[in-house]
Parts: sequence; C-alpha cells; structure tokens
Amino acid sequence: MRGKFSFNTYSKPIILIAFIVVLWLLAGSNFMNVSNIGSVLNSVSVIGIMVCGTIFVFLIGGIDLSIGALLGLTGVVCVEVINALGATPGSVFVGILAAVAVGALAGLFHGFIVTTFNIPAFLVTFATQTAFTGMSMVITGNKIVSCTQPPLFTGIAATKILMLPLPIYFMLLMALISWFVLRRTVFGRQIYAVGGNPTAAEISGINVKGRSIACYVLSGVAAAIGGVVLASMNQQGMASQGADYVNSVITAGVIGGVSLLGGEGTVPGAMYGTVLMGLLTNGLNLMGVDSTQAGLVTGVVTIAAVALDAAQHLDQSKRKAGGLFAGLTKRKDVAAS
Amino acid sequence: MDRRTFLTAAAAAPLALGTLAGCTFEKVDRTGGGGSGAVAAGSSNKVTVDPYNAENQIRIAYVAHDLSTPNNQAWLEGIQRECSSWDNITIDSFNGESSAETQVTLMADIINQQYNAVILQCSDGAALASSVAQAESAGIPVITLNLDCSSDTVHSALVMAVDYDAGRLAAEKMAEQMGEKGGVAIIQGVPGLTRTDNLERGFRDTIANYPGITIVGANSAAFEKEKARTVMEAFMQQYDGMTGVFCINDAMAEGAALAADNAGKRGKYIIWGADGESDALTMIENGQMSGTIYTNSWDEGSTAAKIALLMIGSEYNYTVLTKTPQVVMEPIVVTAETVGSISQEDRW
Repeated sequence: MRGKFSFNTYSKPIILIAFIVVLWLLAGSNFMNVSNIGSVLNSVSVIGIMVCGTIFVFLIGGIDLSIGALLGLTGVVCVEVINALGATPGSVFVGILAAVAVGALAGLFHGFIVTTFNIPAFLVTFATQTAFTGMSMVITGNKIVSCTQPPLFTGIAATKILMLPLPIYFMLLMALISWFVLRRTVFGRQIYAVGGNPTAAEISGINVKGRSIACYVLSGVAAAIGGVVLASMNQQGMASQGADYVNSVITAGVIGGVSLLGGEGTVPGAMYGTVLMGLLTNGLNLMGVDSTQAGLVTGVVTIAAVALDAAQHLDQSKRKAGGLFAGLTKRKDVAAS
Repeated sequence: MDRRTFLTAAAAAPLALGTLAGCTFEKVDRTGGGGSGAVAAGSSNKVTVDPYNAENQIRIAYVAHDLSTPNNQAWLEGIQRECSSWDNITIDSFNGESSAETQVTLMADIINQQYNAVILQCSDGAALASSVAQAESAGIPVITLNLDCSSDTVHSALVMAVDYDAGRLAAEKMAEQMGEKGGVAIIQGVPGLTRTDNLERGFRDTIANYPGITIVGANSAAFEKEKARTVMEAFMQQYDGMTGVFCINDAMAEGAALAADNAGKRGKYIIWGADGESDALTMIENGQMSGTIYTNSWDEGSTAAKIALLMIGSEYNYTVLTKTPQVVMEPIVVTAETVGSISQEDRW
C-alpha cells in the first residue's frame, strides 16, 4: 500500500537512533557531543575502511579470514619502508604504495587460488592468515617497529578536519566509493549476480572468475589502507597488530545484514553495523562497565541485532512468497497438475 | 678454584647472582624443611653437566608469553648476550602466543627433547604449574620470569621486576606531580594476573594515603596500545576531574598519551606506565608521558640465564628447596627530570 510506513524499510536507522537515545540517557551528557561522536567514529574507522572492501568478497559468497593478518603485514611494510627511506615526506607515499601493492597482491593470490583450484575461500585465507603473520614476524624480527616521523605519516591519524579525525573521512570516502561501485555500475550488479547464483551468472555471460578475483583484490586493498591508518594511529608496525580485526569486520557486516552466503547486503548496512559496534563499545566505556562484563553485553547485543535482522528477512520472504505455506501450496498445485 | 668447583660449591648461587646483578634477593631456604612454604615434592632426574665445557652441548629453552613485545624481546636478548661467549650453548626461543595452552604444549615438547634448562614467562601461573613440576622432575631446571607459577610449585628460581612496589613508587611520584589533588584513572592489563593485580594494588594502597586524590575509574585495555587509546578517549569524555592516568604497562601508557595528543591535550594529564621500554622513555622526553618505572629487562634476562647455567652445572636441584628463590630486579623511577640518566645502551 503506497504511503504506508514500513518498519522493515527503515529498521536500521530506527534501531541506530533508538540505540543512540538509550546510550545518551544511560551515559549522560558526555555521550552526545562532537568530541565523543568523533571518538566513536574514529575508533571504528579502520573496521569501516576494511568492511568497505571485504563486503565485495561477502557478496560473492566468499570470505577473507586473512584481513586481520594482512592489516598487520601492510602496516609493517608501510612503516619499514618509511623508516628505510629516512622518514621523509616522500617516503610516506612510497610506504603507502608498497602497502597497497602488498594488499592487492595478497588479494590477487587469494582470488586466483580460490577460483582456479576451487578450494574453499575460508581454507585458503585461513592458511594465508598464518603466512602473513609469519611474514610480518620475519620482516620485523618479531619486534615492534616504531614510526613517529615524519608528521605527514602521523598526521594520517592525528589530523582533524572540522573537529573530526581524518580516518573518519577515509572511512566515509571508502563507503561512498564502494556504495557507488555496487549500486551504480555494471560491475556492482554483476557481483550481486555472481553471489546470488554463480551458475546463472556464468550462463548469462558474466566472467565469474574475473569478478571473484577482483573482489578479493578489493578486499586486500581495503585491508592495506586500513593497515596504513592503523599504523599511523599507533605510530608503529607490529606483526600481531590488527589480529582481532577479522572478527570485528565480519561481525559489523553480519549485523548490517550482509549475508555470508553471498548475494545480499549493502554498504550502508555494513556501515550501520560498524557504527553500532563503535557506539556499543563507547557506551560501555562511558558507563564504566567493567571489561569482564563488557564482552558479555557486546555478545548479547550482537546476537539481538543479528536476530532482529534475520527476523526481518524472514518476514520479507514470507510476504514475497504470499505467506508461510504459500510454497507448499504451490508445490502441491504443481504435483496435482 | 676452577669453574666446576665454583659451580658445585655455590650453595647460595642465586644469592650470589642477586648481588652480581644488583638485585634484591628474597626467600632462599635450602634446609629442606622447617619453613612455612611448600616443600618440593617428588624426585629429580637431574644430571649435572658443566655448561662451560665446550664438549657439552647445552640447550636452553626460552618460552615467552608473547615474543613480539619489547619486554619479551629484551629478555631474549639478555639471555643470548649472557650465553654468547660459549659456542656450545644454544638458546632456542619459543613463542607462547599469549596462550597458556600453547605454552603447556611447548613445555611438553621441551621436556621430551631433554633441554638442559627452561626460562619461562608463564602466561598463566596455575595452568603452567604442572608443566613446571614435570620439567623439574625430569631434571630440567625452570627459571620463571616476572610471573610465578602456582605458589606450591617449587622450582629453581623466579626472576622478577617489582610489581607491588612499582605501583607504590608510581603512585608516590604521580601524587607529587599532581600536587596531591585531583582524579586519577587506571588502565588495567588483564585482570587476574599476579603481576597486574599486585601493581594495581600497590598503586591503590598508596594513593589511598593522599586524601586529595580520588580514583575516578578503571578499565582494562588488555596490555594493548590500541585498546588503551580507546579507553583513554572514553576516560577523557567521562571524567572531567581526571588529571592523571596510571597504566599497568608502558604500551598502554603510550596509547593513552597518543589519545591525549590527538585530543589536543598533551600535558594536561599526568600519564604513567610501568616497564621502562625505549618508546616510553622517548615519550617522557617529548613531554607526552610523565613517567614510568624502569626495569632493565636485558639484565633480567641475563640474570635468568646466569641462574640457568648455575643450576645446570650444580649438583643441587629443586628438591632441596622449600620455596622458590626469588631475584627481584631493582626498579628505577623515571620522570622528565631523570630520564636522561637511562643511557641509550640501557634502553630496550
């Protein structure tokens, strides 16, 4: 019915606003100010940057478990290159290019192995996760590599525009690019088609292998950009830096309604999941919730968010199918005929 | 007196080492009974070997909690330096990957391979207690670093940086820098670890002596620089009256200092850590951090290696001990005024 309000259509912004209001009430006036909102977005900016690339892999029904390790490796490469070239402003550009190249190569490798040998992506990327961490250890001698110069590098994380740290703008830019590619280009539509039904996509003339490889490359590049930002934030490179990020990125995507089976999910949805996670962490910190209980609360809220999203999908599926038993009735009809 | 005689005659070997390393030594009791501490149970298959005889191949295993941290690396370097003059001594390092389960597996392998000694930083004192007992029983002396295994598991030695006193010293100096008034927040490590808990207890007990200072809050950042940034950002929003932050280790203090920097609040907060790693000392010089409790971790590793070599060459084993001997490293309070006294060659 035209003009009728649908909760399902606006559920994510509604939940987000409700969540903010609840935190505002519980955490007090400290929560709702530019500085704190900037902190929240900054704290999830690396996750946001990564999820903008990884969503491509999710959409084709793949998974990239190596992004956490790749985050560490690319950060290490960037920092090592900058230090090796004398920490000059020019070295920052070379360092970033080197990191992005490593990320792209890693993605190319994943895509090639997964599509050529038909090995499950989770096995390939699980293996490379260990390999990438090992590479980082070899490069750094398993030490923390400090990088406090030049200001051009540290400024990647420390610079503020309109009171908000630069990584937030990187995240928004990445989200905008990913959204545009997925929604406004043929390539994007082909990604959804490949994820929805690879066989049908192949028959309709889509280069499934090429598109899949491209998705892994984009995931690797996004992880590399995240790695550079994280290295700048911490002013160091370290093999284990970013190891936990893979869980956060997958969780953000799933909360945002991205299906791990492929073909379903949007960039705004993934960003919603990312911001929700940041708000939750920040809210718990502001309320002084002890870290021993924070994990429990985070887990419960995550399950609730995912369950709500799943319930919506179920509801939408029922509506499309004309009710819970519509499929059964149809099948009976077919059988009878 | 030749070296062998020296080794076998050194009944108070750890005490001597404590003196050599400029450390404080506590609780040596080799009488075999009468003390209140637990008595080492079982026997030992230890075989005395002269580690300085070039014909004897000596293998020492170093099992780290997380080999990537500056502390663990500094200990390893200290161990390697101590043994570098003898070609027959090999140091094999193993990464516990912050997991007690991994360390238990590593310890089983080390026992099977019959290493001559183990230097271990327990990820979890209780989880590693059985492994330590098995190693000692198999004749492999175990020297623990910083974190003891369960108190009733007697082993060759514990070499440790001060924990309670580090908290106390930091609290005293912070109180002075804060003018004995204001609010202070604590960024914790992983609750439940002896060292972490003792450090915090020392800090809290001492701060309680200053009525003008209140502890406004505490939260864990799991020893990680990055998590400490997030916790510090929340603290800055949450506690208007906060003027000081005490972090259980330097990595978290560095993260807190970066968060303050990014908020344009460098110098507004008195930020302290504990460890004394080189990056923290640089931040103190730059005015980003206010102080730390420095321990020479190279010396700590070196001291552990000295004890390991003494135990390998000694006829004594853990069964004569009633309590694990402890060597406590000297703490140095470092502030902007004193940081210059830590020479570059002592910065790890």
